[in-house]
Amino acid sequence: MRDNRIQNILRVNLSTGKTRLESIPEAWTAKYLGCRGIHSRLLFNEVPPGADPFGPDNVLYIGTGPLEGTPIGMGRLSVACKSPRGTVAEGSCGGFFGPELRRAGIDYLAIQGKADRPVYLWIHDQKSEIRDARHLWGRKINETDALLREELSDPDVQFRYIGPAGENLVHSSPIFGNRDNSGGRAGCGAVMGSKRLKAIAVRGSGGIRVADYEGFLKAYQHFRQRVGVGTSRDVWTPIWGAYGAPVIVRVFNDQGGIMTRNAQEMRWDEEKCNRISAEPYLEKYVTRAKACFCCPLPACKKQHEIRSGPFQGFRGGNLWAAIPSVFGPLLDNDDLELILVMAGMCNQFGLDVFHVAYTLAWAMECFEKGILTRADTDGLELRFGCPDKEGVLDLIRKIAMREGFGDLLARGCNEAAKMIGRGSEKFALVIKGQELEAIAQRNSYMVALGVAVSEVGPDHTRWYPPHPGHPGLLKNEDLSRLGVQLDLSKAAQGRNPEEKGKVLRWFTISRAIVESLPSCVFLVRDTLGFDLHPWHELFQTATGIRLDYSEFIRAGERVMNLDRAFLVREGFRRTDDQPPYRMATEDVPYFGFPKLDKPLFDRMLDDYYQANGWSLKTSIPRRHKLEELGLTDVVQDLEKRGMEVEP
Amino acid sequence: MKRIQVIEDLCNGCRLCQTFCSSLRTGVFNPDDPQTGIRILKMPGEEQDIPLVQCNGVCIRPIAGDDQPTCVELCPTGALVYGNLDWVQARRLELEAARKMHGLFKVLAPWKWPFPWVKSKKGAGRVEEGGIAR
Repeated sequence: MRDNRIQNILRVNLSTGKTRLESIPEAWTAKYLGCRGIHSRLLFNEVPPGADPFGPDNVLYIGTGPLEGTPIGMGRLSVACKSPRGTVAEGSCGGFFGPELRRAGIDYLAIQGKADRPVYLWIHDQKSEIRDARHLWGRKINETDALLREELSDPDVQFRYIGPAGENLVHSSPIFGNRDNSGGRAGCGAVMGSKRLKAIAVRGSGGIRVADYEGFLKAYQHFRQRVGVGTSRDVWTPIWGAYGAPVIVRVFNDQGGIMTRNAQEMRWDEEKCNRISAEPYLEKYVTRAKACFCCPLPACKKQHEIRSGPFQGFRGGNLWAAIPSVFGPLLDNDDLELILVMAGMCNQFGLDVFHVAYTLAWAMECFEKGILTRADTDGLELRFGCPDKEGVLDLIRKIAMREGFGDLLARGCNEAAKMIGRGSEKFALVIKGQELEAIAQRNSYMVALGVAVSEVGPDHTRWYPPHPGHPGLLKNEDLSRLGVQLDLSKAAQGRNPEEKGKVLRWFTISRAIVESLPSCVFLVRDTLGFDLHPWHELFQTATGIRLDYSEFIRAGERVMNLDRAFLVREGFRRTDDQPPYRMATEDVPYFGFPKLDKPLFDRMLDDYYQANGWSLKTSIPRRHKLEELGLTDVVQDLEKRGMEVEP
Repeated sequence: MKRIQVIEDLCNGCRLCQTFCSSLRTGVFNPDDPQTGIRILKMPGEEQDIPLVQCNGVCIRPIAGDDQPTCVELCPTGALVYGNLDWVQARRLELEAARKMHGLFKVLAPWKWPFPWVKSKKGAGRVEEGGIAR
């Protein structure tokens, strides 16, 4: 039986083959909550600056938090390491692995060192074993899943694994689980591959006791009221919960928020857009819904099958909004079946969809501008609209296997553009070396600022959702009662730079808390974006730790400052928190939205750093802020390394 | 006699019913608790978790009144229903009819959500044709 106050960590050294179970200091649960928060602390403490991301010094953390295993955890699992680009690489994924790990009596895994041959880790109720995985190496995700299931012959074993892309150290490949769930797209899969760890299998038989069951039940019912499809006051909840996210593609298209043809335009043909939207997907392809552990939404995630045509029999799942938007308009491809197959192939090979889509879009633009020719692309006619479907699908395979032209694209858009040059850097849509996501920036400054300053590279889940909630639900007075000082009417205006820094600061802090409990960040609807009391109550009743609401909020701030401290220690500064070149220099055609030029963006950055208590010049957190958060050791560490920490 | 029945096509496999049921007696969330009246059926080679329920519906801890077991109350999809055989049969027929009208009902229970965003009179949840009135 687990006590949620004390968390533990299983350290696995793959170089020596030794494992050790340690306790995490009890005070950390109140200070950093768990999951992402504890990972931020561990990363800062244990991964030295300048460590080779693919070397034995880099540590891969996989962990849950104090609320995992209860219905609030939603199966969320955080994976973290130093990314191959030097930033923090932290991502959260759903599924069923998290609760199983906790039930096995382990909260965190720290994978250190490097194995001399492919291995997988088998954990069974605090007992762990490093097993040979040579027969799994090179296998696709679905094959690995089936083989491991057969080998361990227990239907309830849960897995996290990497595909061939992770083994081949493809830029930004994530870690997969339950076939279609993935997390850590900043390269956690590649780091796992560099350690020659193919998979982690876990089975637990323990239970999770909450400290105050009656209180927890009451808090849970209140929480369900706030997030339920029928009861939430947010208009987006039922649409998301039932239709699923892909409906947003059409909504974004009307608002100038669809990056078309590598973001050369921001509007797509309406008919094409209808063809890839959620309705045809639901009617023709969806077979059933498949949720993560204890999710209160009926159908956020679904499984699909293509029943006829050239791709007959192709199955997959978990099509969220971003996938049709990046494989559709970005490549000018209106074939929903092709989108499903491309996304499915990314999942099978263990690739990150954003990396593949943006790199393909970049290569297509290069091809159309004559920068790349058929001689470079192994004879492939790489044009927008994907006329050669088989060719594009084969290219995805080549990226994962690093064959021919695929090897260039496997390095990521940023590095590929640097190698090719000839002006192609100008339309490589990257921030901190990482490809963008689906949400557009020039129509919503919150998004523009959010993806630019994120410590992991563009990651919308760090402040999702990108709007301050329905304006009818919240008043400025309510906000100040919740301890948030900002002007909502200005904050809600998409293209008004005012208040964006403050809103983003609040969103980043609050989402850090939700991800640290952990709970699902996609449930932050209604007024929950500002009002974290339901989660505060759930945390207190589950752990038995009495914590002031303001202290609870400060835990999130601590996490965010630790991430920033890690980032600046690796040498990233204000100059890295910038929008991609195309967004900074080109106006949006047709809609007439202006470019994110320097004066405009600098103003928002200043606001954001100011609100956070970070240096306006360098973005290094200031001494008074770190000391106020009780992070004096961080100040000392930064100063020891000769960094200028402003007072 | 009222029973808890599972409409398998609607189930999204979140395992909330099992997880919650296991906690009602002891306050410990442990799906493997042998006392729990819900077991999960996993299809080989599929990402599916379908509950099998062995319970008379007299819940030891009904959180929403005595006539509704907790697992049925908390089920997010409507896949768990509690009623006599006639009632359950009617729900299944209602679902089949609704599915023919709208793709959404592959994943949602038409009796559970009167959709606020559907305005037309032929509204998705109200199935009149085929003699299956609400």
